[in-house]
Formats: sequence, structure tokens, C-alpha cells
Amino acid sequence: MSTESVELKQENNWKRYFTWNTDHKVIGVQYLVTAFAFFLIGGALAMLIRTELLQPGIDFMDGTIYNRVITNHGSIMIFLWIIPVLAGFANYMLPLMIGARDMAFPNLNALSFWLIPVGGLFVLLSFFIGAAETGWTAYVPLSIQAPDGQTIWAIGVILLGFSSIFGAINFVTTTFTMRTEGMGFLELPLFVWSMLATSLLILVATPVLTAGLILIAMDRVFGTIFFTVQAGGDPILWQNVFWFYSHPAVYIMILPGMGIISEVLPVFSRKPIFGYIAIALSSMAISVLGLTVWAHHMFTSGMSPALRVPFMITSMIIAVPTGIKIFSWLGTIWGGKLRFTPSMLFSLGFISMFLIGGITGVFQASVPFDLYVHDTYFIVGHLHFVLFGGSVFSVFSGFYYWFPKVTGREMNERLGKIQFALMFIGANLTYLPMFASGMLGMPRRVVDYAPELASLNLLTTIGAYILGTSVIVFFHNAATSWLRGPKATSNPWRALTLEWMTTSPPPIHNFEELPVVTSGPYEYGETPGASDTRQTLEVTGD
Amino acid sequence: MKPRNIILLLILAVILITIGVLVATTIDVSAILPIQASESAIYIDQLFRTMLGIAVVIFLIVEGGLIYAVFRFRRKRGETGDGAPIHGNTLLEVIWTLIPAIIVIVISIYSYQILTEIERPGVKPLVIEVIGKQFAWEFRYPDEEVTTTSLHLPIDREINLQITSEDVIHSFWVPEFRIKRDATPGQISELILRPTEAGTYRILCAELCGPGHAAMVTEVVIESKEEFDDWIEKQSNLAELPSSSPEGRRALFITQACGSCHTLDDANAVGIVGPSLNEIGAIAETRVPGLDAQNYITQSILQPNAYIVEGYTSNLMPNNYGERLTAEELQALVEYLLEQK
Repeated sequence: MSTESVELKQENNWKRYFTWNTDHKVIGVQYLVTAFAFFLIGGALAMLIRTELLQPGIDFMDGTIYNRVITNHGSIMIFLWIIPVLAGFANYMLPLMIGARDMAFPNLNALSFWLIPVGGLFVLLSFFIGAAETGWTAYVPLSIQAPDGQTIWAIGVILLGFSSIFGAINFVTTTFTMRTEGMGFLELPLFVWSMLATSLLILVATPVLTAGLILIAMDRVFGTIFFTVQAGGDPILWQNVFWFYSHPAVYIMILPGMGIISEVLPVFSRKPIFGYIAIALSSMAISVLGLTVWAHHMFTSGMSPALRVPFMITSMIIAVPTGIKIFSWLGTIWGGKLRFTPSMLFSLGFISMFLIGGITGVFQASVPFDLYVHDTYFIVGHLHFVLFGGSVFSVFSGFYYWFPKVTGREMNERLGKIQFALMFIGANLTYLPMFASGMLGMPRRVVDYAPELASLNLLTTIGAYILGTSVIVFFHNAATSWLRGPKATSNPWRALTLEWMTTSPPPIHNFEELPVVTSGPYEYGETPGASDTRQTLEVTGD
Repeated sequence: MKPRNIILLLILAVILITIGVLVATTIDVSAILPIQASESAIYIDQLFRTMLGIAVVIFLIVEGGLIYAVFRFRRKRGETGDGAPIHGNTLLEVIWTLIPAIIVIVISIYSYQILTEIERPGVKPLVIEVIGKQFAWEFRYPDEEVTTTSLHLPIDREINLQITSEDVIHSFWVPEFRIKRDATPGQISELILRPTEAGTYRILCAELCGPGHAAMVTEVVIESKEEFDDWIEKQSNLAELPSSSPEGRRALFITQACGSCHTLDDANAVGIVGPSLNEIGAIAETRVPGLDAQNYITQSILQPNAYIVEGYTSNLMPNNYGERLTAEELQALVEYLLEQK
């Protein structure tokens, strides 16, 4: 046995996933697996919520327990599922896509990951000791009044914030300094552009939330009075601080997803991306504009009436760069040779559902209509169309797309299609009735509702159970394919970005020899059959 | 572009715009809207229908294009070639940047006009103070010095609600008025409205305020000026009734806002935070072994957490009634509840 194969063997040892490992690919898998585990927990909480709301009346949870469940459902799905799972893809793929051997700061990268299980443990622990029960928004004074779990929860979210910030520093530095020869900014894959936009947003916005949570924790533990009304503190201050991060957080959760869609559509349409520069710049535009819209969450707060109008206008304008992306994606598939792999189906599903999220977002940016539907199930429907129909669909699209690269195995396409069908039907059935129940008078975060809303809520709950089923199909598919799936070649989709120019899975230093970029990432159809000949590396055994 | 395609596109555009206009003006969308009980509701519904019309057109364009592409550009079996190497089209990209920009600017201007209409200060409005507290609403009519747990409004009169909170943030919402406003401690937020449709509607709390959030429901009654004047006069007389009379004991139940959280038909109370008090005089002695009816009711008022009726939550009822009530008032209240059989 040669020394090389011994090294290979060590390299493939599963135990390394449980250690402080600085290989970005190991860290990427750590992120993904951890995030999917939290997705299961957050999803189980969603099933509890929908079961309680299956019919009017208080069935098996009282108001206190219910508030704990919704708070943790929201916090887990946002801070421990969507944000880390997208960071996981970026960790694994970003260095490969720009032809680098690792991230710029490998140890910082490991720290970003390990903060997640620790922060997650705090959030989960809070559940067992009189948990956070104020919604993920933690509005003061309610969050000052809440039991001790609220402090533990705040500590958990602060740690997760640091994880994001460290990750963002790493992505920006890596993208700026470690691109391989020939890769200028206009040759960057759009996923890398989207991570750049996301990371810059994180660097500006996340520290503000972290600071705000420290203020809350201090009010709670040391008796400071930042938010205490009787002492001249201001509850509206928290809303400003919170939304200054938490609205951009929506873009932090959707921009990388849009990046994934922009990778997947050209590959399975066999066509160049339509309007590369427009898509790249619209990511940056969303990132910058995203910092100027936060007070649209506060239109009913009694904030200065005149200030609402400028916030309405900036919020509306975000629809423009978003529209550019949607139309460019349509332009990409138009006239292509579409192949409906599960990855492609989830990308197309993303467009059709995110569109509804985007349009209802414009509705809510309008101040008078927001005075109506703010804090109702209309907003719950809207945010799930964006975060589930958008972000989560993009996660599954990326998962099916990159699974062969990460594991060296193919996923089962038939099960993938079944999962897509169930998830698409389930998601629409869950979230569409929410618009109506909100408009008809159902506030958000209620454990009980008026009897007239029973049939709409029944539909939503049935949809949620279908969604739950689709997730079981997915986990079955992922687990069996990882263990026993057929071996994947280095470039099964005949894609042109650099992560496909190395073996599946890639060797420890990513490339035998660093690639030199001579053409753009999406040059399909330039000369007939060009993309067929460019798949240079066939897998040479593993 | 071929003339035939231009004609097809024009026909498609006409059809789409027709659908949009129909949605905005004629098609019945009342199934997803509560009735309109105030002027603001009429304005906001107009805005909603306009936006819905535009949204339906955009929705049909994108989803239609998506579905068309999925069927039209499906890869044939065995085909391995690529699509045409088209990297973009400047004219198209300018169009799909400008048109959405124009649409959102138009919606913004229209929204601003509607906002100005619904928040135009009225002439000589009826001012009412609204106080949110965990988990009930309280209404004060300052001119008449009346405090109640349900809101009565005269129809077709300008109303100015001065909304605040005693503890955490709540949000005052009547779906039939459409508009809502947060009740924030330490600040007074104004809500202007003009009721247009007589009836009884629900007032909900729209901002998570704790375990009793979902049950923080009371009613708003919109009635004619005469009915309203009668009601307010009756309310101001309540406080002066002696607690030795049955009417006086009922008045005590009402002025202490027990009905915010408890249902009691005798006092027209519809609260749902705590257990119903209908027939409490008969049930009381069965609740806790060793406590007779009188002692059980007294304990439930003074130490509400001592015994919690199944299906209800502890720590929701204020535990300071011992300080708020005089001994005489407490006795009268217990007596009143014992009479409920």
C-alpha cells in the first residue's frame, strides 16, 4: 500500500467531521449536516403549531407553550437552518468555484462552524428552562418581562451572529484575494457574486443585532434601562435596532439562493445565463437598498408619520432589481434545451413561488395596505413564500445539483421528483390560504382563532402535513444515496464552472493543478458541442 | 420580429390588461375581505383591488411564460446539444427594468394619496382613550368620565382614538376598519377613523403580548347617535349605583372590567381569557374540595393562581384585586357572583 492511499484513507475517515478540521470541504459538510438536523427540529415544531391550529380552540398547548414553540420555530429556521445551510454551500463551493485551494482563514472558518452547534445548543436549552417566548422578534418590554430562557436564547443568537460575521469576513477576503489565474470579477460565477453581496450585508447589519441583543441581555441581567419605559427607555429603539438587521436578514437568506438558481438554470437549459451583469449588479443593488428599508416593519408603531413615506418608496424599489432577476431567469430558460432534473425542478419552483412572495411584498410596502395586514397571517404567508418557496427551494435545488460533487454519489432522481411534487403542492396548500385568513382577521402568533377561519386553517394544516411527508422522502433519498448511490463522475451535469473541473469528491487540495480560466462560466452553445469537450477531467477512480 | 408575432403579442397584451382591469374593478373579491365598517376600509379596499389587478397581470406574464417555456423548450429524448448562445438583450433588459420601476412609483403615489385620505384629521372628533394591558382592552371617554371594556362608537362621526399600553406592546386592530395601531407603553399613538356601518365587530390584539395574546378580544359596537348617547348615559350612572342593590353589584362587575376576560350573560360580558362565570354560583362549591362556594370565589378573586380551571392558563389574571377593591366592594362582588345560578 503506497503512502498516497494511506493519506487518502485518512482523508476519507468520517471521524474528521467531528473534529476541528480546517479543510473548507469538511467544514462545508459540517455546516450542511448540522443545518439539516436543525431543519428537522424546526420542522417538527412547525408540525406541532399546525396541529394545534388544525381546529379552533385550545387543543393541547396553552398560550405559554405555544409562544415558546413559535419562538423557537422561527429562531431555529432562520438562525440555525437557512443562514447556516447557505453558508455551508458557500463554504464547500466558493473556493472550488474560484479555483482556490481553501478559504483565506481556515481556522476562523472552523470557528464559524463550531459556534453554530454551541449557539444552537443555547437556543435549544432555553426551551427547557422557561424558554424564550416572545417570537423571534423579541420585542421589548415583553422580552424583558419573559423568563430566564430569554437570556440564554439571546446568548445563543449572539454566538450565531458572530459565526455569520466571521464567515462573511472569510468569504469576502477569499473572493478578493484567492481567485485563480484568469478569473476577474466578470468571470465570477453568479453564486460567488451573490455571496459577496450577502457577506457585505452581513458585515454591516449583523453587528447591530448582536449589539441590540447585548443591550436586552444587560437590561435583563444587570438591570440597565435601555428599554425601560418608566426610566425613560424606548421600546421603539429596539424595533429600529432589530429590523436594521432583520430586514436585511431576509436578503441574507435569499441572495445566496438566487445565486444557486443562477448556477442551476444555465446548466439544465444548456444556455448562457441571460444578462450576467444585470444579475450580478442586481444582487449588489438589493444588498445596498436592503439597508434602507427596515422601518417598513414599523408602519403601525406610531413612528413619525412623515418618515413612513420614504421607507415605503425604498421598499417598493427593491422590487425592481428582484424583477430583473426573475425576468433574466426566464430569458435564460427561453429557447434552451431544458432537462428536468430534481435540481432544475426546484429552481423552476423557486421562480414560481418566489414571485408570489415578491408581489405580496409590494402589497405590504404600501403603507395603507400594511396598516391592514401587518402582523396578520397575510405576512406569515408572504414570508413563507419568500423563505420556503424561495430560500428552501433553492437549498434543495443546490443540494441535488452539488450532491454528486460533495459525496461522489448520484441521488435518486425519481425520489427527487416525488419530493418536489409533494413539496410544491404542500407549500402552496400551506401558505396560499394564509393570505385569506390574514385578511379575514387572523392575527399572527395566535394559539386560537375565530371559528369562521376553520376551513382555511384546515387547508393550511393539511398542506403542512404534505410538506412534512416530502421532507421524509428527502431524508430517505439523501441517506440511501450517500451510502449506496451509484458512483458519480466528476462532471455529471456537463457544467462549466470550476467546481466540476476536479474529481467528485475533490482531493484534499481541491485541484491537482490549479485551473487557468480562459472563458466565462456560462458559455454554453458557443460552438456546437463546446460544453461537451470542456469536461476535461473524468473521474479516475477514488 | 415578424408582423404575425407582433399582432399575437398585442392581442395577448390586450387580454392581460382586460383581465387586470376586471380584477381591479368588477370581479367580486368579497370572499377574502371582511365587511367595510369605516371610511378607511373603503379606501384601503380600493387600493387593494388596484394592486391586485396589477399583480394578477404580472403573475400571469411570469407564470405563463414559465409554463410555456417548460413545455415548449423541453429537451427531446437523446438530444445533447446546447441552446443558442444568447447572453442578453439590452432593449429587453431596459424594458423589464423600467416598467416595474414605473409600476412601483405609481403604486407609491397612489398609496400616499390613500394614506392622506385615511389620516385626514376630522373636525371636532370624539376623543376616546384606548389602553391595552395583558390581556384586555380598556376604553375611557374623558368628557363623560366613563371607563368600559367594550368600545361603543356613534356612526358617521369622526373618531380619534388615543392608544397606549400599561405594560407591553399590543396592537389595536378591527379587521372591518382594516387599519391597526400599536399600543406602546410610554407613548400615545393616534388612530383616526369614521365608522360607516352599524354592527358589532371584534377588536383583536395583533402584536404578540404574552400567553393570553389570542384571547385579548373584545367588541366594538357601532350604533346610531341616539343609541350611543343612551349607552354612555347608562355607563356614567353605573358608577353611582349603591352596591347594596342588584344593579349596583352588576355595575361593580362591569366597572372592575371583569368582563374583559370572563363571559357572563347577566352583565353582557363576552371575555374569553378566563373561564365563563355563567352559573358560577352553582358550580363554585364543586371546584375545590373543602372550599364552599363563597370561599372559593373569594380566593379566586384574591389569589387567582391558587386554583386554575382546566384548559386555562395561570398568571393571566391580575393578582392585586386585594388592593384594588375595598372590603365592601369585594363582598358585593362575591355576592353578585353567588347569585349567578
